[in-house]
Amino acid sequence: MNAKNLMGVVLGGLVIASSVLYIACDSSDSAVKEPTLAPDSGRLADGAPIPVPDAGLLPDGALPDGAPGDCFLNPKTHFEIINACTDAVRITKNPTLPLLLTDGGLPPLP
Amino acid sequence: MRDLQSLCLLGAAVGITMIAASSTAMAAPCTSLGGPPLVFIENGDTQETLVKRLGSKLANSATPVRLVYKNKRTCDLALDLYTPNPILNDAIAIKYIPTATEDPLWTPLSVTPTCEADDGGNPIGLGIGATFLSSCTNLPATRPADLAEIKGPVQSYGFIVPASSSQIALTAQEGYFAYGFAQGTGMATPWLDQALRFSRGPTASTALTCAAAIGLKGSQLKGTVPAGNTSTEVLNFVATSGNPDVTIGVMGTEVYDGARNLVKLLAFKGFGQRFAYYPDTSATAFDKKNVRDGHYLPWAPTPYLTRVDGTGKAVDPNVQRVLDLVLGARVDADVNGLDQVIASGLVPECAMGVQREFDGGNLSLFSPPASCACYFEAKSPQGKTSCATCTSGTCATGTCRRGYCEVK
Repeated sequence: MNAKNLMGVVLGGLVIASSVLYIACDSSDSAVKEPTLAPDSGRLADGAPIPVPDAGLLPDGALPDGAPGDCFLNPKTHFEIINACTDAVRITKNPTLPLLLTDGGLPPLP
Repeated sequence: MRDLQSLCLLGAAVGITMIAASSTAMAAPCTSLGGPPLVFIENGDTQETLVKRLGSKLANSATPVRLVYKNKRTCDLALDLYTPNPILNDAIAIKYIPTATEDPLWTPLSVTPTCEADDGGNPIGLGIGATFLSSCTNLPATRPADLAEIKGPVQSYGFIVPASSSQIALTAQEGYFAYGFAQGTGMATPWLDQALRFSRGPTASTALTCAAAIGLKGSQLKGTVPAGNTSTEVLNFVATSGNPDVTIGVMGTEVYDGARNLVKLLAFKGFGQRFAYYPDTSATAFDKKNVRDGHYLPWAPTPYLTRVDGTGKAVDPNVQRVLDLVLGARVDADVNGLDQVIASGLVPECAMGVQREFDGGNLSLFSPPASCACYFEAKSPQGKTSCATCTSGTCATGTCRRGYCEVK
């Protein structure tokens, strides 16, 4: 097998894996449909970073709900754990908060 | 108008204090009750359900023990254990679990009778907090060498609203702007009225853990703390609010579980989460699944504090028995502590799949050395589990324990 064929096999595998992942996540989706969601970012008031998407999650808003980036099948990190795929009821809420900083962070307390 | 409101609050506080004082003043000394040996406990008020349930079983067991307890804020009771201070007569009643002989009609749902401490107080055998003690700012940096802190079951918390409120979820950012800013200056609609944002004082576990979940410290919560600073008061104020949509409060979920007909618990969306979740699979379930797997974030383990000997065992063997029962390390023929923990709305550590190191801290995966996840699922209210039943030894998916095939 030459390098080109090997690349084709790898890419094909990735496509199949992605499809399986998509179906797995979507089949357990009990969420109310969510509009495009900007990831939490910025920092907490005490300067600690707010958890942001890390390895494994595609840029937010790039995929619809139920897509591979919507939840994690084998969570390991904090971010993956709190966004793991689940059959529990999920509720969408993205309130308008006028004091939220433009980067999504929280302003210090007055 | 504000003066009138202040006067009313002061009057209410004085009234509550007088009622509490009069009720304890008429009570008999706890040490003169007779019957089983006593274990004096100070516990967070979220833990009262467990104390009453377990206490009822213990008081009527073949080798009876009587639990005598006082509800106290976690950081305050921890300081009593650290110092050590005795349990004293004050505005907060000391209560005792009656035996069936003393009161055949008493159940854990009944009002608990009161008794008095001896002059100078009685030594506290056990402290049961309800959040990480690292959140307490009133404790010495170092725990006394003879005082052990044992990690107990997990307590979850949440934000409640009146049953008729249209709200169903709260994001951590909303909580930050609602509770972190005075009056309505945080602009977190609809929770703009500070008088209707109910909270607890900064030494209470409910305040500390809920605050941490929304990026605040307990002392930074800008809400209304009821005169007695109790969960019961918060529940009553929220349940009876005349302005449901702007009313919100903090609450232990086991208190909420017993009052689902009065208030609603909001689903919670933590920092970094894409969705909000209930502690349970749904608003009507009791399985604490989202606490156990990390989707629901406001929770903390309950620390058990007691004096220990050189071997690490509680100095008082009756306290050690209570500990072993609660942790599932011991099952008596007539007292199953783990069952009482589960029935009280708490999650034993052996049923948890995640852990954290401090209030609001990141989660990591947790694999208990002797899992009870299947047992928990089967025993929780509305309990059901997909785990296979078994009798003993190994089983298809791991180890047979308490009649279920656990992963290990």
